[in-house]
Amino acid sequence: MAIERIFKDEASEEKGERARMASFVGAMAIADLVKTTLGPKGMDKILQSTGRGREVTVTNDGATILKSLHIDNAAAKVLVDISKVQDDEVGDGTTSVVVLAGELLREAEKLVAAKIHPMTIISGYRMAAECARHALLQKVVDNKEDAEKFRSDLMRIAMTTLSSKILCQDKDHFAKLAVDAVMRLKGSTNLESIQIIKKPGGSLKDSFLDEGFILDKKIGIGQPKRIENANILVANTAMDTDKVKIYGARVRVDSMSKVAQIEGAEKEKMREKVQKIIAHGINCFVNRQLIYNFPEELFADAGILAIEHADFDGIERLALVTGGEIASTFDNPETVKLGHCKLIEEIMIGEDKLIRFSGVEMGQACTIVLRGASHHVLDEAERSLHDALCVLSQTVNDSRVLFGGGWPEMIMAKEVDELARKTPGKKSHAIEAFSRALLAIPTIIADNAGLDSAELVAQLRAEHHKEGCNAGIDVISGSVGDMAELGISEAFKVKQAVLLSATEAAEMILRVDEIITCAPRQRENRIHAWKMICTSFHQGGNFVPILTS
Amino acid sequence: MAAPAISMPSSSSKTESYVDNKRKEDIRQANIVAARAVADAVRTSLGPKGMDKMISTANGEVIITNDGATILNKMEVLQPAAKMLVELSKSQDAAAGDGTTTVVVIAGALLKQCMSLLSAGIHPTVISDSLHKAANKAIDVLTAMAVPVELSDRESLIKSASTSLNSKVVSQYSTLLAPMAVDAVLSVVDPSKPDLVDLRDIKIVKKLGGTVDDTELVKGLVFDKKVSHAAGGPTRVENAKIAVIQFQISPPKTDIEQSIVVSDYTQMDRILKEERNYILGMIKKIRATGCNVLLIQKSILRDAVTDLSLHYLAKAKILVVKDVERDDIEFITSTLNCLPIANIEHFRAEKLGHADLVEEVSLGDGKIVKITGIKDMGRTTNVLVRGSNQLVLDEAERSLHDALCVVRCLVSKRFLVAGGGAPEIELSRQLGAWAKVLHGMEGYCVKSFAEALEVIPYTLAENAGLNPIAIVTELRNRHAQGEVNAGINVRKGQITNILEENVVQPLLVSTSAITLATECVRMILKIDDIVTVR
Repeated sequence: MAIERIFKDEASEEKGERARMASFVGAMAIADLVKTTLGPKGMDKILQSTGRGREVTVTNDGATILKSLHIDNAAAKVLVDISKVQDDEVGDGTTSVVVLAGELLREAEKLVAAKIHPMTIISGYRMAAECARHALLQKVVDNKEDAEKFRSDLMRIAMTTLSSKILCQDKDHFAKLAVDAVMRLKGSTNLESIQIIKKPGGSLKDSFLDEGFILDKKIGIGQPKRIENANILVANTAMDTDKVKIYGARVRVDSMSKVAQIEGAEKEKMREKVQKIIAHGINCFVNRQLIYNFPEELFADAGILAIEHADFDGIERLALVTGGEIASTFDNPETVKLGHCKLIEEIMIGEDKLIRFSGVEMGQACTIVLRGASHHVLDEAERSLHDALCVLSQTVNDSRVLFGGGWPEMIMAKEVDELARKTPGKKSHAIEAFSRALLAIPTIIADNAGLDSAELVAQLRAEHHKEGCNAGIDVISGSVGDMAELGISEAFKVKQAVLLSATEAAEMILRVDEIITCAPRQRENRIHAWKMICTSFHQGGNFVPILTS
Repeated sequence: MAAPAISMPSSSSKTESYVDNKRKEDIRQANIVAARAVADAVRTSLGPKGMDKMISTANGEVIITNDGATILNKMEVLQPAAKMLVELSKSQDAAAGDGTTTVVVIAGALLKQCMSLLSAGIHPTVISDSLHKAANKAIDVLTAMAVPVELSDRESLIKSASTSLNSKVVSQYSTLLAPMAVDAVLSVVDPSKPDLVDLRDIKIVKKLGGTVDDTELVKGLVFDKKVSHAAGGPTRVENAKIAVIQFQISPPKTDIEQSIVVSDYTQMDRILKEERNYILGMIKKIRATGCNVLLIQKSILRDAVTDLSLHYLAKAKILVVKDVERDDIEFITSTLNCLPIANIEHFRAEKLGHADLVEEVSLGDGKIVKITGIKDMGRTTNVLVRGSNQLVLDEAERSLHDALCVVRCLVSKRFLVAGGGAPEIELSRQLGAWAKVLHGMEGYCVKSFAEALEVIPYTLAENAGLNPIAIVTELRNRHAQGEVNAGINVRKGQITNILEENVVQPLLVSTSAITLATECVRMILKIDDIVTVR
């Protein structure tokens, strides 16, 4: 006799065919959800929050959509994860990776239905992926030596990334912004020093790059609004009176004048602190906490620009870019590292006044000020720009470049097809399937643009039969075009990451043959137990302690 | 070559056709319908004969307005696309300050046209791109129509301010409010930065009572506060020396908890005396600098003033205004050209501001404090708005704000266009002509864009009780004959040269209305799904 149950009450188990079905369906559903956002004519989604305020986000960034979904399917979660990883690693291609993984699984499902063992499919996929990577490696263009060409490569990559986003109408402008910002980094991938400020009003075209740091704060009253050659002290300290922090500490006095003396002493302590700060030889003081009226006046008297209540992010960045350190004690002026910059001034963007630190020590720093019609536009613009910046900073390090517009997929599909023909055995079916999955990407791009995908992809395949062809889908004119002429480029690193992580994710899901859902942890246990105690009281019976855990 | 066998919806039709499944159509449809409903809600408040809306908020407050931004702001819409229209109106408010109704009405009309384009099977991104092109072209046309204006040309500025005011409840006062708005803005323009106007430099003080007629521009400072009357202190001071203080004139209080131990009643007397001496000491220091007006910042830690200190201050013939908000301190100090004083020790004569007259004025049931004849006054202005009831007062303030924004637009972009639907109909005509030379779907979409713009003159006429169709066709006719500035004269109920009627508006209002409305519509078009998330 078989064992009746192994698991607890609520735990469930799905096996074999059913388990595989469940994970296939889940993964494909996720892929289908983001599929329509792919490509320059992809659509956007509204994300409506169910939380308080029912906030609305409009986006076509795959990672953002997937991140915010409620998901209950294990396989779907795997896809969400690879999209997240893609976002962290290379920043772009978050939709492509999910779509490719979805397509791989869709093909795998057919093969499984044709009684091919998942392990065979997996080894076929592996061979195909390796072959596809090789195909790409052979075709990459590397312009690292030629600064002029490299810059134009970067511009092209930025424009390709941006063309699928909200910024596509002003992509020239933003591509230039992004390339300028990334070039300033001089090879580091630390995007921290690029600050993005969003200010509603104006149009996207009014966005600009500022060489320096902008702080969204006000200068204290009566203090200089413009300082040249500033010495900046960045601090995180309480500027009110230092209090005795022991609970219940109090002073007892027997006359009013003594209270006044204590008050005077408190004021004196504040003054001392301010004097100590001033003794650092600074002319700008930025504090994370509030600066009260009294110290503010003291600073104003000393002709020091004091900025209060700068947010944490703000002061960390400011310390970073001005080359200072965040201080919290002021007894040893020689050990405190001050920040420096050439000029501090108040500027006006739209309706708001901001403070600009220009000529900062760390020449890499810059600020991008985004302007746009509404918060929705600005948020989406920030996400798009962030994608472009990520890709560019990755490309600066790994300068290998490919064409875009479905070109890499066609190249890979062609090579993989060749491989399928050479490979004996069942594996060749899997390899063939891999090539079909790759072709799905140009197909979806064409479909999203409302083009006749079957016709276009067939044309593309015919074009690619020739050696050294640059053909890809030109979505704007709706035909097959030369990618080199159209200037559509993508970073090799992005494509490689898409290919490898999608294959791995598909492989992982394919390997699954059993899903065990654990019993949810009991939250209401204690309440339940308490109720039972109460009822036993009410019934007047003898009280038996039920609480055991 | 065989097409790859990939599972996907079969698409056999030719290029630029749109294949999609039912759900996506439905979502787009639902979005458009919801957004249009919002646009229809404010449509009737467009134009000089537009009607007002009464809004009763959840907490029982009643607002009467025809300011699009205010109406939409108070409408609690839930549908995401409808929310975007509300945002749109807010953006126009931020960008231009006026035309908040216009922008929503244009967006609604564009969406209506988009519906029919979508049902004709045109791909949304094609529509979106064409709209963008059309909007850019529209800006060019508008710029070509615009008349340059100089800031010295006060008449033109007043004309455009009064166009904005004419559609409001306070329209009958436009002759009074328009020049006021112009003077207020011009007085805060900084000659070193001639393009920038910070409206925060213009403070609007509302006071119930009187009529809108009594609204005045005050060269100086106005507080909606009473002078402290305790112990018969002065209420009028000439040759005032004003101090803005951020410390408190009350018995000392320490940050650390303290208690005074009283062991017998003689000690009590002594403490009372000490308290008096302490305050007296402070007031003597104040008096020593010649200060005779004190503005005291509100304090949350302890009483800013006590009865006792007020009494002494009154004795010292010092006028006291208490409970000044901390946020206002910057405005006040820059107006009075003085520095705030945070400690009695720092109370020095050079930190004081000077004014010819500080007086308390009774207005209706309330009182205000006026400071006039300020020496070296900063670039700020005060406007004192009066109204017979709270609703009128609020609406007057909103209208004045719109008028100020209009003038500000003219300062930053010094061009005027005609009002009364003239620019829209001209745009419609020129874009319609342009559409004919374009190829393919673009031409078709631009034509729809051109038709959508006719909604403005149509609605203007409709709201004014005229026959919209007759008026719009007549307008088209006149424009076709080259009368670029022919527009609807709502007063006379006929079509006249609207520039001669002095109905003008800043170019920035029109251009930003068109770009923002297009941007919003494009965003709505591109949405194909609503996903519920955490």
